[in-house]
Amino acid sequence: MKISARFLLVFALVAAATIFALIQGRTRALRSGGGAEGQARTAWGAPDLQGIWNTNTFVPLERPTQYGTRGTMTEEEHAKALADLQDRNKRPGRDSRDIGGKPGQGTEKDVARAYNEFWFGDKPTKLSYRTSMVTDPPDGRIPPLTPEAAKRIADKREFLAALLQGTSGGRPGPISPRRNDPSPDYNLDRINRSDGPEDRGGPERCFGDGVPVVLGTGTFGGVMQLVQSPDSVSIYYDVGQGSGYSWVIPITNRPHLPANVRLYRGDPVGRWEGDMLVVDVTNFSDETNFHGSRENLHVVLRLKRDNANTLSVQFTAEDPTTWTKPWTATQELEKTDEKTTLVLEGGCHEGNYGLTGLLINTRAAEKAFREGKGPDPATQDNATGGGDN
Amino acid sequence: MEARSFWRGAFLAIGVVAIAFAVSSTHMTGQSSARDARMPGGKPNLNGIWQAMNGANWDLLAHTVRPAVSQPGVYANHPVLAAPVLALGSVGLVPAGAGVVEGNEIPYKPEAAAKKRDNAEHWLDRDPEVRCYMPGIPRAMYMPYPFQITQSPTKIQMVFAYANASRTVFLEEAPKPPADKWMGHSVGHWEDDTLVVHVTNFNDRTWLSRSGDFHSDALDVVERFTPITPDALRYEVTLTDPNVYTRPWKMSMVLYRQLEENTTLMDFRCLEFVEEPFLGHLRKNQLVKHWEGDTIVLDVTRRIPEGDKKYER
Amino acid sequence: MRRQLIAAAAALAITAGAAPVRAHHAFAAEFDAKQPVKFEKAVVTKMEWTNPHTWIHVDVTMPDGRKEAWAIEAGTPNVLFRRGFTKDALLPGTAIVIDGYRAKDGSHRANGRNLTLPNGQTLFLGSSGTGAPEEKR
Repeated sequence: MKISARFLLVFALVAAATIFALIQGRTRALRSGGGAEGQARTAWGAPDLQGIWNTNTFVPLERPTQYGTRGTMTEEEHAKALADLQDRNKRPGRDSRDIGGKPGQGTEKDVARAYNEFWFGDKPTKLSYRTSMVTDPPDGRIPPLTPEAAKRIADKREFLAALLQGTSGGRPGPISPRRNDPSPDYNLDRINRSDGPEDRGGPERCFGDGVPVVLGTGTFGGVMQLVQSPDSVSIYYDVGQGSGYSWVIPITNRPHLPANVRLYRGDPVGRWEGDMLVVDVTNFSDETNFHGSRENLHVVLRLKRDNANTLSVQFTAEDPTTWTKPWTATQELEKTDEKTTLVLEGGCHEGNYGLTGLLINTRAAEKAFREGKGPDPATQDNATGGGDN
Repeated sequence: MEARSFWRGAFLAIGVVAIAFAVSSTHMTGQSSARDARMPGGKPNLNGIWQAMNGANWDLLAHTVRPAVSQPGVYANHPVLAAPVLALGSVGLVPAGAGVVEGNEIPYKPEAAAKKRDNAEHWLDRDPEVRCYMPGIPRAMYMPYPFQITQSPTKIQMVFAYANASRTVFLEEAPKPPADKWMGHSVGHWEDDTLVVHVTNFNDRTWLSRSGDFHSDALDVVERFTPITPDALRYEVTLTDPNVYTRPWKMSMVLYRQLEENTTLMDFRCLEFVEEPFLGHLRKNQLVKHWEGDTIVLDVTRRIPEGDKKYER
Repeated sequence: MRRQLIAAAAALAITAGAAPVRAHHAFAAEFDAKQPVKFEKAVVTKMEWTNPHTWIHVDVTMPDGRKEAWAIEAGTPNVLFRRGFTKDALLPGTAIVIDGYRAKDGSHRANGRNLTLPNGQTLFLGSSGTGAPEEKR
């Protein structure tokens, strides 16, 4: 075919226009994904998720069954629930030295209360009208476990109970020979044994929370600092007990890491869908325990700036080896600022005298027992904080 | 021109471009289109994963290869590998490094210089890095592990692969910290294309290298990040500490951006692994056969490697 | 009855959710319920505002007049920082009363179950001079 000059000109112009349009579309899709009016935006046009976020409004994760499938309380229900919460706030909690109405000094329970309420932050005073963070399934509760998960969790519970057998916090009986067994899973719980560091749970080894993080309420509940750029979201969690850890979410098309690579906080990859940042997280390790889900956990987070003062963090958790169906929950975080709510450095590992102390003192107690100078440590409840037996 | 010819040209153009674009997308990097060298507002774009490429974390001063832990050899100035790195062979050596300190000298006060020498001899027992503790600033910037910068106009967040350490550089009003921090408190501003960061409020717990270089809680650090190219930064640090040094001193190096496709920051999660060295002696049942108190004392049996058995009859 | 049970369960659910999820470590394994200590005269020598537990170093005057150096373990400083305290709060020289339990290994360490001022006021709350923040939160 004879190519005319005009043909070439048209070709070039249309090609250029098409390329331009496609690049603009891709750039916008990757960086911000279109927009609703009134959405706070960064200098590069993406929804602005940045800030210091926490919550002072209490919402239970799972819905109390009395609310059925209702996601919102009535005024009366809210007034009653708020009154109940305020009643509970008045209780002395750890400040009390009484156990079951009697003076508690000298009991394991009193020791386990550690120090008093002042060190645990303010109690929540605001109560949401939402009956639960869980929005799906419709009853607002985490779905049932699969039979395999139920068995593995029951097996672990039995192991924990065996280690408490014969102590003040456990069922009656002799000290169980299972005290010499390894844990049936990678242990992250508080068990009644301190043979070595692995016996102590994740918090005592300063592992930090896994993800998704659900912040607690109030000054002890922690804060989340979110810094954002065109290609990443960098979150720092400052949570109770002097822990702090970072989680960087790349905004990217890349595939997940290979399946043999297992990470404590998984492998997050983020992308924009409209005004929502959707983060797909896989590749969790066996040191994961999210409500019973271990390394097969798959989480999809959806972050959205609902308004100037609210960041909604929705997550869908899926694990066919643990739950019979996926479930979704939303936490609405409130904007705060550095003056009101300090974001503080952690340092749990750097200051972890507790783990050393636990082991040293357990070995000392065992030695005292061998020498006839003290009780058998196996008869003590160092897991639940002492019971009434 | 004929209408048919016009439309033929137009459709052909769209088709060719669309195919080319589709093909190119499959090779596109994971990043959201080629990263601009500048952010909106004109400042250099520091977003991405960066890493130093020098031996500063081993030794800030110029040095040749040496054992990480040494003992006297046959010749006075030729030490040999010693326990516990003896079995590592070449992996137990400190590689040579050109040094990053201007003037190749850290101006320690005399008593501080003696403490540094003592630290260096006992670095394995004392270096907080060995315990997986937060490395402080500037050490985190030149450890041999990557870190990721997330840069907004008001804050620059740096997350380090090593021990999940992090720092926030406040570009706007910064709250005064209530106490000292392992990673210090960073306040930054731009001077043209140079990011200048003032870091204060350190505790005295971190070291500057594996060679015993240390500081007090009076340490004051000023950093300057200046792009040389879009993917390389000149990183200059001035350190002042009247308790330890006779005068301010300076180090200088280059930080390089990782350019691999799909590069991702992977945790150097060390805390579980340091339990055996530091708590192993407190286990009810030792994992290591012979363990004496807090000091690592191992029974080593030298085995002839399988391949060399031909020569050992 | 059933309605009461449901209401009780609902209330319990709320309470359970309100409690901090990340509990402190098992103190009963470390400190001995059978070795309570009460130091009426403990003078602060140093405050270690470290995570995850603040350590209060004190000189304790024993009944025979001798002085012993003790380290008292308390909660995370981060909560106190959010209440407005800084590292200069509770300066050395402050007299406090410590009610706690001694470490099982016999060392001079104890957990501060109750920390008060000599007049009985709970430490860190109330009167100035004990590290109370300048502004009421």
